[in-house]
Amino acid sequence: MSLFVKFWGTRGSIPTPGPRTERYGGNTPCIEIRADDQIIICDGGTGLRELGLDLLRRCGKQPLTLHLFFSHPHWDHIQGFPFFVPAYLPANTLHVYGASKQDRTIHDLLSGQMESVYFPVNFGELGSRLITNDLDTTAMVGNVRVTAFRQTHPGDSLGFAFEHDGRKIVYSTDHEHDLLLPDPSLAGKHPGELRPIPEEMIEFARDADLLIADGQYTDSEYQKKIGWGHPRATTVVDFAVRAGAKQLALFHHDPMHSDAEVDTIVALCNSRAKALGSKLVVFGAREGIELKL
Amino acid sequence: MAGDFDDFDDKEATGVLELSVEILAQLRAKPSSLEMLSGPGAPRVVSLEKDKLVFGRSSQVDVHIDSLDLSRRHFMLSKSENEWQCEDLDSRNGVFLNGLRIHSAVLRDGDHLQLGRVVFVFRKGR
Repeated sequence: MSLFVKFWGTRGSIPTPGPRTERYGGNTPCIEIRADDQIIICDGGTGLRELGLDLLRRCGKQPLTLHLFFSHPHWDHIQGFPFFVPAYLPANTLHVYGASKQDRTIHDLLSGQMESVYFPVNFGELGSRLITNDLDTTAMVGNVRVTAFRQTHPGDSLGFAFEHDGRKIVYSTDHEHDLLLPDPSLAGKHPGELRPIPEEMIEFARDADLLIADGQYTDSEYQKKIGWGHPRATTVVDFAVRAGAKQLALFHHDPMHSDAEVDTIVALCNSRAKALGSKLVVFGAREGIELKL
Repeated sequence: MAGDFDDFDDKEATGVLELSVEILAQLRAKPSSLEMLSGPGAPRVVSLEKDKLVFGRSSQVDVHIDSLDLSRRHFMLSKSENEWQCEDLDSRNGVFLNGLRIHSAVLRDGDHLQLGRVVFVFRKGR
């Protein structure tokens, strides 16, 4: 059976509607993965709203069982959840996975944004059956094996690897690879050299058919945003090359980047992969695109 | 004649104006299209005037393309809420959007669709 991946939101930080971002899209992170009859959703940014409406169009009144994996609870990754219509329908079951933060469970983190000061509908009024799971290592969703990996981001984030029938998708957003380089300043001195990504991260993404990875900043932008939780796109290329990934979808586009600027970053990253002797295909994750793996 | 205009009240005038605007809009409307840049018969423009069109090598499909690079039913375009979506119908050689093999995609103005050696560019109508 094939794996299908569809991008519903690819923008980082904040929604950016308008003509400058029409092609890659303005909704914040949300990805749908379909394997056999399982529906897996990565993150609940504003793209989740459209996905919810589409699920209703596709499935009608048929009860849905959905598996939602949250990388972390920053606004741009949870903001679509209160607008996710399937969560309000009693026939549906939602399995929600994420990591606890200090003493707050994923349930607390999701429901917090629906307190009355922020949102008119209370979390308790969601009609679906909601099952929350604190996820640290692995889980099975039908025949899909899910592995979680702790990443470097203010407040932490999780990356996820989904493996099914010999195929592998890795979702790694909001991860500042550059902070993990042994000497980040060396990359500036020798920008063309392959950067030494930590081995455990490489293993996590090893031989991925598709690596979806945050590539928010250009090299020059990054110098002013060190510690903000996002990597240089060029470092993500090195991550993909070292891991032997076949395709890299640059994701979590900077809200300041127009479509033309994303095109430029993608072209630069493809050139870098080629210069490193890799056959890696780099593309910009774009709302509305669906791939079959 | 003056009497005719006297009988022409405000409500009727508004109706005529609305109708005129609609007719003008229809005259100015331009359907979306696929321009064939390379392939048999190129250059050629396929105007997307139905809400669903199947492209392929078969003579039974909406848009027949006489190329062995295409499957009999290669891909489908469908319109929903004024947006066009392209979907690969399990073709042998696949559908490439701006160089990326896709299963489906919402099309944007200027997108290139490649099917073997056949290349189209999508032009959004107005």
